[in-house]
Amino acid sequence: MRKKNKKGGRHMFVWLCIGAFLISFIGSVIFKLTYVSPEMRQYSVNWSEDIGTVQKDFKYGEADANTFDLYLPKDNAKKSYGLVVYLHAGGFTSGDKNDDAKMLEWLCSKGYVAAGINYTLRSDANPDANIYTQSMEIKQSIPSVIEQAKQLGYNIDRMAVSGGSAGGCLALLYAYRDAKDSPVPVKMVFEAVGPSSFYPEDWTNYGLDQNKDAAAAMFSVMSGKTITADMFGTKEYDETMKDVSALLNINQDTIPTVMAYGTYDKLQPYLGSVRLDEALKKNNVTHEYIVFPHSGHGLQNDTALYAKYMQKVVEYLDTYLK
Amino acid sequence: METFFTRKRIMILIIVVIAGIVLGRIALRAIGNLMLGGSLFGGDFL
Repeated sequence: MRKKNKKGGRHMFVWLCIGAFLISFIGSVIFKLTYVSPEMRQYSVNWSEDIGTVQKDFKYGEADANTFDLYLPKDNAKKSYGLVVYLHAGGFTSGDKNDDAKMLEWLCSKGYVAAGINYTLRSDANPDANIYTQSMEIKQSIPSVIEQAKQLGYNIDRMAVSGGSAGGCLALLYAYRDAKDSPVPVKMVFEAVGPSSFYPEDWTNYGLDQNKDAAAAMFSVMSGKTITADMFGTKEYDETMKDVSALLNINQDTIPTVMAYGTYDKLQPYLGSVRLDEALKKNNVTHEYIVFPHSGHGLQNDTALYAKYMQKVVEYLDTYLK
Repeated sequence: METFFTRKRIMILIIVVIAGIVLGRIALRAIGNLMLGGSLFGGDFL
């Protein structure tokens, strides 16, 4: 009898251990997914009408995707406002301006007019969409964004542009290539993990350093231009890619930049960001280059450095856009 | 009546819970690294 009880108790303990393990395992995963560190909490807000209002889906062009949202601060009595454009991520093929609502809300809470802009994504329905066409849509949208804000009582006289991943690439292009044509001065750019150059030797993440033909095919699709393997390393290549490579548009007048990249990035090449940093240094451009040594494309393993990135964004906004 | 939670069993339970927490965290990080890139160790644990 005693032996039977002992055996039953052992079984129950084994089941208790299995349950405890599963609860701890799942709890740990949920905690990691939902935890926001104290230093990051200051970069988000609980959105309410006390902070501002959102007006959605203004059109700026003919294409279905040519829409933008405006996040307008509650205080509408200022003589002028700074505009911050934030462009969404998604590998040029997916994503939406709504994905960045938290960032746009936070920027609005800082007193800026914030704008999220959609652009035509590459898809079966839009096979001709590429980085160049998307960057031109962004360029086309800015006068409409500024005009719409003005009609709503917010006079924009300066702006910053920003984004993540594909949005970071487009933000850099607007900042470095198109700022001179902007209706208002572009004062700074901040972005994370946006590709800025297209050299096969950097794109080791897709093995393009080993296969120049594959590199030519991929860069042709991305740029919307005809690239052949024999063009790599020539002046002609740089001239052809200048329209889609922020790196190739850097000069001594390039605007202040805050940028963040992960050394293990699988989706865009970290080595491209090293080139970008070197070019900015060479041209004496004020910039912050924050490298996440344990992270990839999501900058996901270096929370303390993400807080540093956001702190630098605030410093630059306070310095150049206030 | 013997005590169900002996000192030995409590120690085993504590070890199992710690193992669950650590493995859950590592598994999530491994999945993130697989999709986005990243190192398994170093950086921030939380």
